Amino acid sequence: MKTNSNDGDQTRPGGISRREFLIRAGATTALIAGASAAAYKLWQPKHFVPGFGVQTGLQLPSYATAVSKVLPSLAIAHGSDHEKVIRAVIGALGGMGRFIQHGDVVVLKPNVAFDRPPALAATTHPETLAAVAKLVLEAGASKVYVADNPINSPTGCFLKSGLRQVAIDLNLDLMYPEASSFSPLQMDGEILKHWTFFHEPFKKATKVIGVAPCKDHNLCHASMTMKNWYGLLGGRRNQFHQHIHSIVSDFALMMKPTLVVLDGMNVLMKNGPTGGRLSDVKPMGTVVAGTDMVAVDSYGYTHLMERDLDELTYIQKAHDRGLGNKNWKDSLYKEVQA
Amino acid sequence: MKIRNTRRVAQVFFFALFLFFVVVTDLRYLKGYPVSLFLELDPLVATATAITTHTVYMGLITAVLLIIPTLLFGRIFCNWICPYGILHHFIGWLMGKRRAEERERIESNRYRKLYSLKYVILIAMVVAAICGSLQIGWLDPICLFHRSMTVAILPMINLIFPSSIYVKQYFHAGAWVIGFLLFFLVGMNVLIPRFFCRVLCPLGAFLGTLSTFALWRIDRDPNKCVDCDLCLKNCEGAADPQTQLRKSECFVCFNCVEDCPEDAISFKFLPQMRREISAPMIPARRALLGSLIGVGFFAFGRSTGAADRNYNKKAIRPPGSVEEKDFLDRCIKCDQCIRACPTNVLQPALLETGLEGIWTPILNMKLGACELNCTLCGQVCPTGAIQRITIEEKTGTGKFADQGPIKLGTAFYDYGRCLPWAMETPCVVCEEVCPVSPKAIYSREVTITKRDGTPITLRRPYVDPALCIGCGICEHECPVTDEAAIRVTAVGETRSPDRRLLMDGGVTSAVRDLEKRQR
Amino acid sequence: MPSATPPPKNRRQFVRTKVTLVERVASVVCLVLLAAIGGYVLWKGKHFDPALYSVRTESLQTTTNEVKGEDGTVRGADARPESRVATAPKPEAVVAASAAEAAQTPDASAPAEGSAPSGPPIKGDPLEVNLPGTTPMSDTEFYGPNNLFEKIDGRAPAYLTFNFQQLRCRSFSVTGAAGSYVDVYEYRFDTPINAFGMFAIERDTNGKKIDFAPDGYSGELGYYFRQGVVYVQIIASDQNAKTMALAQALARDRAKNLKADDSGLDGRRQLPSTGLDPATVQFVQENAQGQDFLKNVFQAVYDYKGKKLPFFIMVTKPEDAAAAFKSFQEFCGKFGGTAKSLPDVNGAKIFSAENFGTYKVVFQRNGQIGGVFDADDIDKGRQFVEEYLRGELQ
Repeated sequence: MKTNSNDGDQTRPGGISRREFLIRAGATTALIAGASAAAYKLWQPKHFVPGFGVQTGLQLPSYATAVSKVLPSLAIAHGSDHEKVIRAVIGALGGMGRFIQHGDVVVLKPNVAFDRPPALAATTHPETLAAVAKLVLEAGASKVYVADNPINSPTGCFLKSGLRQVAIDLNLDLMYPEASSFSPLQMDGEILKHWTFFHEPFKKATKVIGVAPCKDHNLCHASMTMKNWYGLLGGRRNQFHQHIHSIVSDFALMMKPTLVVLDGMNVLMKNGPTGGRLSDVKPMGTVVAGTDMVAVDSYGYTHLMERDLDELTYIQKAHDRGLGNKNWKDSLYKEVQA
Repeated sequence: MKIRNTRRVAQVFFFALFLFFVVVTDLRYLKGYPVSLFLELDPLVATATAITTHTVYMGLITAVLLIIPTLLFGRIFCNWICPYGILHHFIGWLMGKRRAEERERIESNRYRKLYSLKYVILIAMVVAAICGSLQIGWLDPICLFHRSMTVAILPMINLIFPSSIYVKQYFHAGAWVIGFLLFFLVGMNVLIPRFFCRVLCPLGAFLGTLSTFALWRIDRDPNKCVDCDLCLKNCEGAADPQTQLRKSECFVCFNCVEDCPEDAISFKFLPQMRREISAPMIPARRALLGSLIGVGFFAFGRSTGAADRNYNKKAIRPPGSVEEKDFLDRCIKCDQCIRACPTNVLQPALLETGLEGIWTPILNMKLGACELNCTLCGQVCPTGAIQRITIEEKTGTGKFADQGPIKLGTAFYDYGRCLPWAMETPCVVCEEVCPVSPKAIYSREVTITKRDGTPITLRRPYVDPALCIGCGICEHECPVTDEAAIRVTAVGETRSPDRRLLMDGGVTSAVRDLEKRQR
Repeated sequence: MPSATPPPKNRRQFVRTKVTLVERVASVVCLVLLAAIGGYVLWKGKHFDPALYSVRTESLQTTTNEVKGEDGTVRGADARPESRVATAPKPEAVVAASAAEAAQTPDASAPAEGSAPSGPPIKGDPLEVNLPGTTPMSDTEFYGPNNLFEKIDGRAPAYLTFNFQQLRCRSFSVTGAAGSYVDVYEYRFDTPINAFGMFAIERDTNGKKIDFAPDGYSGELGYYFRQGVVYVQIIASDQNAKTMALAQALARDRAKNLKADDSGLDGRRQLPSTGLDPATVQFVQENAQGQDFLKNVFQAVYDYKGKKLPFFIMVTKPEDAAAAFKSFQEFCGKFGGTAKSLPDVNGAKIFSAENFGTYKVVFQRNGQIGGVFDADDIDKGRQFVEEYLRGELQ
């Protein structure tokens, strides 16, 4: 088929207009420049060794409040009613207002590791958590998160331990761990240097309160306020069992909470951490609260579990590393009866 | 010199260069030859890995050296440089309609709608890459050709002429599929000239898309043209030079320039757009279908969990490999690592690593083991699926003594098959051949009473997982050859944080730790 | 598109003849580019980073073992294969230096250890050198008397007669000349004399003297010398200038670093140097000249007044020397030979003898016994000996 050669450009036979030339040549040149620039910008000229690279992660701020010279840093309260004892122990410390101010976003970290009923004392008692939460709300917190990464299935644990009901009753924000809730944490621990961490609740948090039961643990002797932070880690945590004492002492480095509460109203004296028999649980009617988790745990191990502190290796480690004081009597403390 | 003859010289040169690279990728000859040069120049490899990894790894930046000429001159790569294209060109010439009637030849080179399939394939692959799965390796011509040579052709030559290629015959899993696929694709040139290049090649599709902006192209002068269609007689790309040239299909082979008796065809700078079809013709619905297939490849492939927790214990990757999901982002299945490996331990995977991992490299200790002081696989990998680590980094010596060696996995005993453990027979070859220092395998002497009542003193071996690097020499040398009494599996590999066996990476031995643990 | 005028079938092929200048230029440019690419590939081949890659043929060991039937796997019931001992790849710390770096840092390498089976001394410190322009091509190899033949085949028995202890060898690449390398062999013996003896037997008479090793010479492809108890061979792969330079550097390095020890070689010192053809100096451990009392004998050929005179000397205890002298004289008198006592010179006893057409003049002085032998001129032989005894020959 013959094409018409009258292209209307006898002046430039077979050629194109200057405008067209500029557009076309310009477009191609732009593409060339763009491709080269993109390639150079994305260029990775050096290799790396996979699995060994310098890793960065988030670092937790400290949630501790100012040290007071006047108010005690550790308080012990005895009694028979959960709420009364909690109010008493917090009151002995100077009241929740010392720690929580109006508008604070507070994370309550209970121990919900297992799907056990509260009576077996393997998890934080719902009445304890409710009491602490009420105090926090009364102090003016704008938002209260309840979060933990249980060992068993999260929905089952929160439900069976009764803590889900507490969150519903008091309108707290219960945060279940999801895949997207975790971020890598970076710290200079003995064992923990880089690990995946349940970050979601802490993204907006200004204050953190740990609420732990006092229970026996077959591997590390006792699980109290220090071991409670285990529930914030993700990934293959079972590897921790290889170096459990170092890791628990690392928790004191990882988390600087505003306050820890050790619930000794019912203590799991043996067959922890899951327990299973009511006969393992001893009512001690005591709650300890303080700003130094090492001191609080020392009291718990010696007075609530009635054991020799020297055998609790992670306390010694934390003390030796300067992360707390195992001699709880050294600091200003107060003991009250509810 | 006529430009077509220059093109022929270039074809011979690049094909010979390709064959040279293939042959010289051997521990004995490799030296510093850039054997992955074609792969590093391949613009589709660079672009697709840039999409999946957001980086351009080391040598891949040289792809710019091919992108720029394509943006200027069109698909010169396809007929001047691409060794696979040259192979098809040659086979087509050899077996095709060389002596056939002129008319038949002209008809065979007309453009067909079938030739838009490669764009659909490209779209599918690009969409899969955007989702996070790199699958260009199936059909990228350089990857395909390298893979076919490594897995099928070279072993075939070595079977016919023993010791010509390898010291010892190499075997590769699934070689027959790759071999027959090559034969099929090359054989199809008999039916449709340049079948692969016109119908299937995703790199050709990519370059064709870039050619839309080419400043030079084949141009037919309508004043001189007599419509004889002779330009089609040898047209390689089926680019319709006899009407409006399809820029995205033209291979710039210059055959039409030579064949036109009226001298009406030339290679012009920015000729009239009216006489060309600039952009490739891609039917919209087919493109959508291609996208869906791309998404499906990623989604259905990834949902088996083979790259996640449901990983196959036999998915042991080469030393220097990146973490599995990143590996699937980078591996183009070129099998250069398999070619370079001096012990034949690297094998193309079948389904061990999932659908996405077909033909990616894994170790099979029955055929070999990972040499301690060898990093050839990383040296030839063009995309960084296996990083270009040094021997010091691999063995954890010198500056890297603190971080320790790279582990591929961990060896585990099968005590029911182990001779000293279950068969009253002394052995400990595994301990002898363990290459690390101190050895990861140790043994304890024990005296037992045999079945016939006589006592025998044996050494029974154990593995220290803190020291084992998973090289597999023990498994390879174990005399129980059908299923070794000590086998390496992928757990404990250092490249994956979530597949580590020991918490601290093995600074203290788990065994010693157990002994130290209280209560 | 159907054409308007269908062309005749299979017409004569059209051949284009008009080639524009632009086309010619473009073709030339393309060809130049091709040549450049080829050149780049060849250049790349020569330059590689030894940190990544070196010709580690041990990597092929596992495959070649199976091919050669030396596979280490126990196939039988309870044999622990001994032959694996030398061929198993030894894990040694690797030195990594990029080709761009001039100096090489010797790594503080730990010697290979582990539960390798015991046997002849086939382990030791790796052969490290601190030289620019080279990196080790492979790990150090060790061989003992039991498996020396695996490395040097038929030459091994000779080495064993000299109480060979251990061979330590390594290859070194030449930076900038990929493919070229220099082999360093260090044969260790138990005494300097034995090292000398082996060295002397293999001596190339066309070798040139070298200044850094008195007992040594250089050949077309390398250097050979004895230093202490070690007989060193430095052999280059080719005569490329860089390779030969490295060979010399390595030879000097070994001469510097190996312990010098000439004990027991005093006998050699007592060979006079005037007229000595150094290429003929030999050390015979025992049964020199077929006599069992002639052990640890040094001998050389001298050019004396136009005649070639073989001369030997043996240093031992005075009583043994005297006994040997007496036995020798008695022996020479037998089997149709004649032995004649000659007057003492300078405290030395002398006899001359003729056996089977050749002459010998033998002296004994204190612990020394020696003389001219296998000579065809008895007068010159006697003059030589007497001049030596008078101290006129140094």
